[in-house]
Amino acid sequence: MTSIRGRLFFLLSLFAGTTLTLSWVTYSSFKSFMDMRRQLELSYQMRDEVQDVAALKPSTDLFRRMQSYRSRLQPQRRQDEFSNLIQSINEANPGPLRERHKVFLKNEAEFQRYTRDQLNYLEKKLLYYGSLAIFIMILGFFGLQLFISRSVIRPIHDLSRKMVDFLHDRYTYQFSVPTTDEVGQMQSTFNSLAQRVISNMEQLKTLDQAKSEFLSIASHELRTPLTSIKGSLSLMRSGVVGTMNEMADNLLTIAENETDRLIRLINDILDLAKIEARKLPLHQDWHSFTDLVKTSLESLQGLAGQAGVHLQSDPLPAMEAYMDSDRVQQVLTNLLSNAIKFSPKGQTVHVHCEVNDSNELVVTVRDHGRGIAPEDQEAIFQKFRQATNSRNPLVKGTGLGLAIAKALVDQHGGEIGVRSVPGEGSSFYFTLPEWRYNQARAALPKLEKAA
Amino acid sequence: MRVLLAEDDLNISIIAKISLEKLGGYDVTVVSDGESALNEALSQKYDLILLDEMMPKMNGIKVCQEYKARVTSEPKPVIFLSAKSQDSDIREFIDNGTGFIPKPFDPRKLPQQIADLLKASVG
Repeated sequence: MTSIRGRLFFLLSLFAGTTLTLSWVTYSSFKSFMDMRRQLELSYQMRDEVQDVAALKPSTDLFRRMQSYRSRLQPQRRQDEFSNLIQSINEANPGPLRERHKVFLKNEAEFQRYTRDQLNYLEKKLLYYGSLAIFIMILGFFGLQLFISRSVIRPIHDLSRKMVDFLHDRYTYQFSVPTTDEVGQMQSTFNSLAQRVISNMEQLKTLDQAKSEFLSIASHELRTPLTSIKGSLSLMRSGVVGTMNEMADNLLTIAENETDRLIRLINDILDLAKIEARKLPLHQDWHSFTDLVKTSLESLQGLAGQAGVHLQSDPLPAMEAYMDSDRVQQVLTNLLSNAIKFSPKGQTVHVHCEVNDSNELVVTVRDHGRGIAPEDQEAIFQKFRQATNSRNPLVKGTGLGLAIAKALVDQHGGEIGVRSVPGEGSSFYFTLPEWRYNQARAALPKLEKAA
Repeated sequence: MRVLLAEDDLNISIIAKISLEKLGGYDVTVVSDGESALNEALSQKYDLILLDEMMPKMNGIKVCQEYKARVTSEPKPVIFLSAKSQDSDIREFIDNGTGFIPKPFDPRKLPQQIADLLKASVG
């Protein structure tokens, strides 16, 4: 029997069959017990009626009563004897009547003795079968419970525990399949599922490894030739090969600029790939955020001067953030250099810090450039997407800066975004969830609440 | 001033050699693997040793350690060139040698970087 259903059906049939048989036996015993008791009572009554042979005179009344007795007598033999007795009474011949009467009483006494014995025996039999029926019912009840518990409830419980184990990352778990029934099938199905999950995980691990290998090979193989190109160009520019004419100089400038751009692009792509593959761990600690803003602004003064754009920051309280300061600086520098590139000459780029409702630090870089159309506002954070119609000659980005910034801010648990009205400028902002005022200089002004 | 340059990438070694000779006025000898670097260094014909970290046969750190262990007279200053930029790597370079120049270097600034490092080690 391989299925729980089959075994359950078999057990229930056995149980029902046994119970029915026992019930039938008990019922029929009880029925014959009652029949016999009636016959015995009848026999006593009848004997009382015909006890005195002298009183047995033929009369209509007597014959009617005797007929009623006769019809109820069992078995046939007793009816016949009783018929003979009635006939003798009817003939009213005292000699044969006395003889008949004697025989009849003797026979009836024998019948009574026999019936009493039978009744005793049937009583014991009833008691025995009744007890047996009750016993079997109790046994069946516990048996069924045991069967269901052992073959259904316990394996399901076991399986659910293993599933929970599996859920909690114990991926190497192997399940033994002890049975071939429904629960066993469930276990083996689960085994197959687990196997598939494990093999998928392994596949993912292999892919991840391949990706890492690709990253490290790509970063080495792409950078090495570029380093030589850049070095050579740099030496030519230094004048070691002699003075160059204007045309050579122009060509050299193109080569140098494009090499720089290629290096930036490769660095950006590899950076982004590393961040996305989670191969670029953050070195997070408490660092001065105030200093970070200052350093970023200083490092971009050159670019701002070139573009004729002013850089400005609110006076900041001394504060720290839990961050990888190199990476956050990369984000801020990216937003600032974008703002500078897109600002018209003579305008100001403004850095502003505040606290939002969730008590996060919000850093905003505001420019007075052309602004970004609403349909572009999400796209610019995607890879290789820049706002349409950017014809500014200073704009020579890789198209990856904001995608990297977004990945880095995400990694810090923050948020990055833009608010812009076309024609009026843009405000790029990012948030840092973990920050605090510098304890040592707590007396400085606090940040304002964001509107 | 005579300089031993150990660098396995031919292009980089040419660029560095031109930079050091034309812009820095050094006299440069180039070797391209760790073993030759160690042998040349042990001859003590040079005033300065520039070691790339990743080289065939023996890496830069190992060359430096062997050189310092086996040289009989006063060891010459050793400067590492490496693309490795983690704090732990840089510490290892500084602990073993006189200084460290990150790769990729700018050939226009290389002689000045070396001069600065030498000055700092003397001072």
